[in-house]
Amino acid sequence: MNFVKTLKPFLLAVLLVVVGSSTAWAGVLEDIQKRGSLRVGMSTFVPWAMRDKKGELIGFEIAVATKVAADIGVEVEFVPTAWSGIIPALIAKKFDVIIGGMSITPQRNLTVNFTTPYAHSGQQMAASTKLAGNFKTREDFNSSKVTIACRRGATPCKAAQNMFPKATVRRFDDDAQAFQEVVNGNAHAMISSAPKPRFWSDAYPDKVFLPFGEENLTRGDEAFALRKGDADALNFFSNWIIVNTSNGWLKETHDFWFQDQSAWKDMVAPK
Amino acid sequence: MDRNSPPPPAAKKPLKAVDYFLYALVAGFIFYAIYRVNDVLVYHWNWSRVFGFVIRFDEETQSWVSNLLLQGLATTIRLAVWSTIFATLVGVVMGYWRTCENLTLRIISRCYVELIRNIPPVVFIFIFYFFVASQIFPAMCIDNISSKDPLVNNPVFTFMFGDPKLLSNFLAGMICLSLFEGAYITEIVRAGIQSTPKGQWEAARAIGLSHLNVLRDVILPQAIRKILPPLAGQFITLIKDSAIISLISIQELTFVATEVAATTTRVFETWILVGAIYFVLCYSFAVLFAHLEKLARRSHR
Repeated sequence: MNFVKTLKPFLLAVLLVVVGSSTAWAGVLEDIQKRGSLRVGMSTFVPWAMRDKKGELIGFEIAVATKVAADIGVEVEFVPTAWSGIIPALIAKKFDVIIGGMSITPQRNLTVNFTTPYAHSGQQMAASTKLAGNFKTREDFNSSKVTIACRRGATPCKAAQNMFPKATVRRFDDDAQAFQEVVNGNAHAMISSAPKPRFWSDAYPDKVFLPFGEENLTRGDEAFALRKGDADALNFFSNWIIVNTSNGWLKETHDFWFQDQSAWKDMVAPK
Repeated sequence: MDRNSPPPPAAKKPLKAVDYFLYALVAGFIFYAIYRVNDVLVYHWNWSRVFGFVIRFDEETQSWVSNLLLQGLATTIRLAVWSTIFATLVGVVMGYWRTCENLTLRIISRCYVELIRNIPPVVFIFIFYFFVASQIFPAMCIDNISSKDPLVNNPVFTFMFGDPKLLSNFLAGMICLSLFEGAYITEIVRAGIQSTPKGQWEAARAIGLSHLNVLRDVILPQAIRKILPPLAGQFITLIKDSAIISLISIQELTFVATEVAATTTRVFETWILVGAIYFVLCYSFAVLFAHLEKLARRSHR
């Protein structure tokens, strides 16, 4: 996969040229209205987007995307996409917009456009009681003996490397595997977007704890991502976010999904 | 006894003490591994949520309905069947071209086979999906087919191709797999054609059959009998290879399993269950093909 990774910028550049030159330009918003549906790229990530008991998508993002589509006056169509390929898939026009809890980073911003942020997540750490039970400060984790697990190709891995440069960072395909390493006592800690580490430490209270409590390691800015070159769509989505931040809808929805699981736990798991 | 009948089966040898010792050793090793897993792996096994994603009881209709994993399995089977059909078409044409006297056709088919066989499947799939599929599909207007069109939104179509909303997604995966497996089938077909002795060609041509007739009535019937076992093997390989296309987000069994694992955080249960499903699927096809082969051999004689 490293081979693919090094090729990625090159592939993206060629893709931009190919897609950009071969198709006649039409605004994304016009396309959406003509088609009658908003195609949203997303990836499963509790509690942003997940499956309920019936296999249907639910979550914070799903609520946001559904409201955006309703405000445009079209249907919403979700395109579940593997996280590592979600930006190339956006550029290859598999969907109109990524509403996938994607944090703004300058590197990503070189390839795609971001709206103003609609959520502020943070990275949270869950640590193994057995291996790191006596760790108190961040410095305790910054040691060559410490192993930190995280999801490949995502913000947490970068945070882990920046904050704990001496620690060994082990990458996994998804958070659940990374978390499992902590439960099994193979990694001292794992970093993931809040509130997942908290949900997990609730599930395994005797094996896992939150070394820094509710305090997040970092603060992220999550935004919708769009293909470059469409200022109209960018303006629409950004202003949609501003309006819904001002009227409190975004905060209310965010709280419903993020504060604790009690509001929606019955929807995802049998009692 | 004529020389064409198979040799008599070897006499069955009874199991010896050393065989039982080996069995005991393997069983002991498995039990030790299970014991170690339970000991080392601190894990609350919980299968109910994962099973709930295979099949669930719907409160509203009071009936059992399929859930994500079963739907993913259906997509995998659809993908395998359609890809086999198209890969066979591609393989037969290309395989014939490989043996043609026309140099251009030989170059085209040789390029196709070598290109695909010498690129890792994952890389081929990425290139195909992001460059080729994203150019072809808009040009063919497949992306613009409305999922409510009565042409696609009917039970027959849904049975054959799955949810019309995922049509372009399904087609991308299918074409990708077909092209990929087609290269291997090409080589199987080529071997089949070339294994037919040259004398057959010459004799058939000598009695005045046209080139097409020679191929259809003389060469292919013999070739097909020879290539059926490797083709069956390739079909099972195709089912397993279909897991790779989960990387381009085709909604088949492996992809929905990643979603289920992420949602339930039940990683081990999900993958063990999915592994078991793949095993049952592939092994039943292997048994089926072995049976068909036996029938074919008997009817031939």
